[in-house]
Amino acid sequence: MHRMFRLITAALGVVVTSALCLTACAPAATAVPPTTAVPPTEQTGSLTVLDWAGYDAEDFWTDFKSTYPKVTVNFEIGASDADIYAKMKAGDQADIFHPYTGWLQFYVDEGLVEEIDTSKLSNWDKVPDSFKKIGQINGKQYFLPWDWGFTSILYRTDKVPEGITSWSALMDPRFAGHISMWDDGPGAVTVSTYIHGYDETQVTAEQLAAIQQEWTAQRDLNLFYWAGEPELIDAMASGDVWVAYAWQGAYAALLSQGVPVAYANPSQGRNSWVGVYGIRKGTKNYDLALKFLDDKLAPATGNNVVNLFYYGHSNQDVMNGITDAALKEAFSIDDPAILSKTNFTPNLTAEQRDAWTAMWAEVKAAP
Amino acid sequence: MLDRRATFWALLLPPLLWLGIFFVAPLLLMAAISFRADLSGEMLRPWVPTLVQYADLARVGSYWRLLGISALVALMIAMSATALAYPISYYLVFRAGSQANLYLLLLLIPFWTSYLLRVMAWKFMLGSGGVINSFLLYTGLIQQPLTALLYNRSAVVLTLIYVWIPFAALPIVAALQRIELSLFEAADDLGATPARRFWRVTFPLSLPGVLAAFFMVFIPTVGEYVTPLLVGGSRGSLYGNIIQDFFTKAGNWPFGSALSMIMLVFTLLLVALALRVVDLRRLVV
Repeated sequence: MHRMFRLITAALGVVVTSALCLTACAPAATAVPPTTAVPPTEQTGSLTVLDWAGYDAEDFWTDFKSTYPKVTVNFEIGASDADIYAKMKAGDQADIFHPYTGWLQFYVDEGLVEEIDTSKLSNWDKVPDSFKKIGQINGKQYFLPWDWGFTSILYRTDKVPEGITSWSALMDPRFAGHISMWDDGPGAVTVSTYIHGYDETQVTAEQLAAIQQEWTAQRDLNLFYWAGEPELIDAMASGDVWVAYAWQGAYAALLSQGVPVAYANPSQGRNSWVGVYGIRKGTKNYDLALKFLDDKLAPATGNNVVNLFYYGHSNQDVMNGITDAALKEAFSIDDPAILSKTNFTPNLTAEQRDAWTAMWAEVKAAP
Repeated sequence: MLDRRATFWALLLPPLLWLGIFFVAPLLLMAAISFRADLSGEMLRPWVPTLVQYADLARVGSYWRLLGISALVALMIAMSATALAYPISYYLVFRAGSQANLYLLLLLIPFWTSYLLRVMAWKFMLGSGGVINSFLLYTGLIQQPLTALLYNRSAVVLTLIYVWIPFAALPIVAALQRIELSLFEAADDLGATPARRFWRVTFPLSLPGVLAAFFMVFIPTVGEYVTPLLVGGSRGSLYGNIIQDFFTKAGNWPFGSALSMIMLVFTLLLVALALRVVDLRRLVV
């Protein structure tokens, strides 16, 4: 009996060590031969992209596919910014990853991202400087801006004929039971800072406590916290939700379904976010990854982002070419001042991210 | 020919390795991470163990309260699912006769669709434009759709009971099938009424299956987070949702791990307590 126990503990020891080793020494990426001399159509190799569900569709990298038909592109799916960050942090071997504004500083601080050599990008001059800046951390271009959009209040014009002019509509008792907030702590903090005029980058402990109270009270007006856009779109189309925190993808989708909705221009300004691509530090496929990102900026891919996802693209030529009325409306393309009335999402610090998510968890757990 | 010892290890080693790598090791890793101050630096760098996560957790009363609520909700769901599964199992084993296999198959058919789809189906049942509301509006019993059906904790309880009934039926069926039919004859011969026969013979002998069903539902339901997310609304969150937020939204693994460890210990304590209160041997004998 004693001997068997020893055997089992020994076996478990082996198991634990090998499991730890699995996490630590993940397989290295396939090396790709130098890219010189080989024409693109003949180039082989493979790239791994850590991206969000849906972005793996070929529509969103169609230019790369046609230029480099023999390169295999593999996708790993991340569920959220935190998930993608956690994966990269745990040693994920993806060559390219796709975080959003708010999360960029962490990758640079933890040494997970390689600087982008923009001199090798043929489409880089199509990207406006305001977008380029978003991908710069500590003065270096670590990220390539790619998709962008607004956050604002989406509402049913038949249920709220007087319109919406403030972010505080999310806390308006008139809409009790017909409000839907995004299930996200930083999102909630952002809304409160707009309403009360707090500095979003310097929220104090007292302000955070007030924000927690505000959202705890809001909970009884809120029907449900939405996690994914389709869930929100369904509830707004059915008329259960009248007023919601939403991205303009939901707005464009509801417009095209013929649902009477409008996308508010709150007096405090809309929020705006940008999705960027980063290249993993230490990747053996750096040159190929650069080519992938360059083609991500190309027009066919950009048009698909705009037309299929209803999101903005960082290639200005693509945006200037939009003719569809619903899309023009969604991006407020005809309002030349829209970007100056918009609040860009600033980068979070680790302390803010933890404190704000904890605040949100306590809102949900409150009696 | 292999000797007995070699056969024993040859059979035991693959599952032991599997469980070790994919269950025990991650669990130990999670326990270890819960004693870490933060996740900065190398993932597997050595760190000084700290109780800071547990101290933070101890300060937030609402998490503890939610853990209690989650346990109560799980208790309610496990008891209801088991109680509802019992008559189904009884019918399958003693009354269905030659049709038993067909009915068992029908019971298992929901497993052919995804768990998520089955939960989503309840949105169509309970929603304001859903099956129940459409029916009530059609019959004229109500003029406005009932909004209280969906997006609350009752919807979570209802959905989970439905999801678990087929699972709960399986161990009860297995237990009932093991009962010797001659015992019923003996009970009849000794003059027991059908009700007395059930309570003195059938039910006690099926108790191991009933308890297995109960715990099979109770233990995973304490940490449930998907169903509250889909049908629970703003006030339907359970403890599992809080854990999920710290892992997938904050990327705060140390605090999420501490929350998970507390839940694990709490659930094990409850199970140990339940097994002590419900003395199996006393019940069966």
